[in-house]
Amino acid sequence: MVTQKSLFSWVLERCRGLQLLLFVMILFTVFFRVFPLEMQKRIVNIAIQSRNINALLTYCGLYIGAVVMAGILKYVINVLQGYIGQKILYEMRDQLYTHILSLPLSFFRRTPPGMVISSLTSELSGPGDFLGSALAVPIINLLTLITFAAYMVYLNPLLALLSFAIYPIEILIIPVLQKRYNQMNQDRINVTRGMSNAIGEAISGMHEIHGNASYPIENQRLERFAAKLFSLRHRMNKNKFLVKFINNFFQSLGPFILFLVGGYLSIKGRLDLGALVAFLSAYEKLYDPWKELMDYYQDLQDSKVRYYQVMNYFDRSPEFQLKPEGPREPYLLRGQIDITDLEFVVDGNIRILDRISLDVQPGEQLAVVGLSGSGKSTLAMVVGQLYSYTRGHVLLDGMELKTLTKLDVSHNIGYVAQRPFIFDDTLLENVLYARKSLNLSGNDNGPGMPDSNEVLRAIDEVGLTDDILRFGLNSMLERREQADLAQRIVGARQEFYRRWGVELAGDVEFFDVDRFLHYTNVAENISFGFPNRADWELEQLPNNRLFRKFLDEVELTVPLQDLGRQMAVETVSLLEDIQDDQFFFEMSPIPRDQFEAYSAIVERLSKGGGEQLTRKEQDAILKLALRFTSSKHKMAVLPSALERQIIEARHSFFEKIAAGDPGAFIFYHPDDYLYTHSIIENILFGHPKADRPRATEEVQKRVVDLLHEKNLFAAVMETGLSFQVGSMGDRLSGGQKQKIALARVLLKQPRILILDEATASLDNRSQTRVQELLKTELKGKSTLIAVVHRLELVKDYDQIIVMKAGKIVEMGQYEELLTRKGLFYELAHGA
Amino acid sequence: MSSPMEHDRTCSMNEHGGRCELETNLEVLRKIPVFSGIPLQRLKLYAYLCKRVCYRTGEFIFRQGDSDDRGYILVSGRAQVVREYEDHSVFLNELREGEFFGGLALLSDINRLFSVKAATDVDCLTLDRESFRKMLIQFPEVGVKVLDLMIRRIVQMEEKLMRKHVHECMYG
Repeated sequence: MVTQKSLFSWVLERCRGLQLLLFVMILFTVFFRVFPLEMQKRIVNIAIQSRNINALLTYCGLYIGAVVMAGILKYVINVLQGYIGQKILYEMRDQLYTHILSLPLSFFRRTPPGMVISSLTSELSGPGDFLGSALAVPIINLLTLITFAAYMVYLNPLLALLSFAIYPIEILIIPVLQKRYNQMNQDRINVTRGMSNAIGEAISGMHEIHGNASYPIENQRLERFAAKLFSLRHRMNKNKFLVKFINNFFQSLGPFILFLVGGYLSIKGRLDLGALVAFLSAYEKLYDPWKELMDYYQDLQDSKVRYYQVMNYFDRSPEFQLKPEGPREPYLLRGQIDITDLEFVVDGNIRILDRISLDVQPGEQLAVVGLSGSGKSTLAMVVGQLYSYTRGHVLLDGMELKTLTKLDVSHNIGYVAQRPFIFDDTLLENVLYARKSLNLSGNDNGPGMPDSNEVLRAIDEVGLTDDILRFGLNSMLERREQADLAQRIVGARQEFYRRWGVELAGDVEFFDVDRFLHYTNVAENISFGFPNRADWELEQLPNNRLFRKFLDEVELTVPLQDLGRQMAVETVSLLEDIQDDQFFFEMSPIPRDQFEAYSAIVERLSKGGGEQLTRKEQDAILKLALRFTSSKHKMAVLPSALERQIIEARHSFFEKIAAGDPGAFIFYHPDDYLYTHSIIENILFGHPKADRPRATEEVQKRVVDLLHEKNLFAAVMETGLSFQVGSMGDRLSGGQKQKIALARVLLKQPRILILDEATASLDNRSQTRVQELLKTELKGKSTLIAVVHRLELVKDYDQIIVMKAGKIVEMGQYEELLTRKGLFYELAHGA
Repeated sequence: MSSPMEHDRTCSMNEHGGRCELETNLEVLRKIPVFSGIPLQRLKLYAYLCKRVCYRTGEFIFRQGDSDDRGYILVSGRAQVVREYEDHSVFLNELREGEFFGGLALLSDINRLFSVKAATDVDCLTLDRESFRKMLIQFPEVGVKVLDLMIRRIVQMEEKLMRKHVHECMYG
């Protein structure tokens, strides 16, 4: 198992060829490091003393050659080391993540996500960097050290021994300091984990924090960790730099001894000057490998602590085998379930499931009911192999469930949790998730990926069609990729208007060039089109000189600035007490992050006249007016005279742009697709009125008919399926999430289907629909175990078990259980 | 594309005679007992969060059994409160201008106990649960007052309905 590997086993097992290459290169660098020293000596002793220019040039050439070679080799070695380290880190992460994914669910109950994240990202990267140099650095530096030492002994044994004398002292002191450092490092990892967990928790509970404005509580919680971390880090630094200081100090003792003794010997003529120079150089050179060895030692200790801390944490075995040993296709079961004396015990002696025995024949449907806490969900999870069981037997087609691999189970069982998980991806990817996994798991004659008809059918069966249609109708098309579809929608638009234009005039505000649009902002009411370039976008308009000139010409500048001022004053006074909640800003023309700027403007306004405002502030006021949308912004009103003035300006704007800058806008034209608007707005060429709650419904009904007629329905559904659901599906409702999970499992067509209150968040209609599906479509095809909360849903099941405190207390069919007047009867009558 | 014939069906509230929606909403709220005790500055926020909706004669404002997250104030027109049974429905009450109804949905996610149907064209002002709760969190002192009045109001209305209901049963 990956968690039991030692740190060095990674180095010894991986990239052996590269490491050998590294080793050879190291030998060469060592040679190229010592070689210049000998050249130095010869330059002084032979070339200079015998005044031999040729020799001087030769030795100097060799010297520079060796230095260059050493540099190049060092570069290659660094690159190689980095490569090996990252490669090992990559494999280490991969293997550890695979291992973590296979760990039992119970493990993750106690393990916060922050813990897993920090382990896999930051904590492992240290050891990874280290491993690249784990062999090379000690070898290279030890060899260099020994070589230099040998060279020094060769030059002068006495001086050499004297200068080596300081090293043993260091070797005694430093490990003591390091031990303290390691202890603090371990603490640091624990504190960092605590901190990641606190952050992770705060982020998943963000709604609770916002709801209670409990920012100070969370701040304090984090601050405790941060303060601890601060003090630990500080002490660790002190320790680390103390080691450095001691090291440096002893190093500089060397030259002191050398000058003292070497100088004396040189004066007495017992040592030639060249040898002394070479000796000093050699000693200086000793410093580098020694320092690197010291760093290596510190890194080694740090990496060991991090590595084993991580690995020990995840050192648990998976509960089930992932894949069959040896080449065997996953079993294909008939769906027979036999459970005898099943027990699930936690914390030593709490029996969540207590001697459960039951049989379900292939294709039969079993309902599990009972009060909450009776063990219904646990039973479902045990049969779904999400938990292992303590005693007893669960046989699927006569095979013990414990001995089946995850692959066997996933090919035969579909499990839908009460709160299913939705991934941050498109709707389609979420629906295909289970089926995709089946196909990836190496079964050659697997079901393959479903075609769009199959997907649409599954979606319809769970009642998701309307939701997806709505997503589709409300999404915008990409100009580059979907021009064809856009053109076909424009075709549908004309048909729609011809048929229902008159009838729906009260429900839809059509884009009519001669009318003011209340669902559109003032800027678009003026331009009656959408800009192609950034300098014509709303936020830039106050800086757009052409636009400003135009506003002056049509005499709109002053009335719009009046409107902007009124909006600013009203909005600021309305929202100044509740700036901390984004919710209140959804209908405000001033976004929350600009609130302070506008509040400053309002304050200046209240002190006296608009004259005091700077250019920039006046622009901000104008921008506010351009954002004004009648249907949305309640704090101001556009006088009808001004509306008429804007409609007139619209016409001359069109002429101006057509003449002066024809590419700047795409105008609302009945023959053009509006890429800044949703599909439904494009079909309507207008906006459904929000104050008519039935409008959307009535309009949509007609739109859907038209889509079917024009063969556009599938295309819109496809667009809807590419809707991004957001992190954990937070752009979806609880019911939509459950529907996705149901569609996901239907596409998998499992032999055994387990539903754990899987329809609890659905509206009545969808719930009935799913119930109908189970009764007809799936009847006989899949064995069904359904944990059901609402008892009126269990009438048609072949068998119902009633659970209480982990035991089955009643078993039978609906009528039978009612006449028994036991717990089921009580539950059914809400007693 | 020429503009279609104007049907005389637009929301009458949209003809606001030069006053902004916030002010018209405020005016409506000030006449409703549940809200009238709220200081003006706070009441403005309720007016800001309210939405206008219009129904045509015969349309349901909400239906029994539906889950809905809004409370309604009837601004103009008349509406009927109806309790529906499998084979028949019983008329319980008529709502007139200025009545506040369906407020239970502001307090909790419940299914409607009765239906309300527009007897004429009806304009309403509505507040949704999230807005109501946000205000409760922001201004608890005001919120508690509103809550108190609202619950009294709901109880009163239910009492009335019950009496009527019993009455109907006895003689009907």
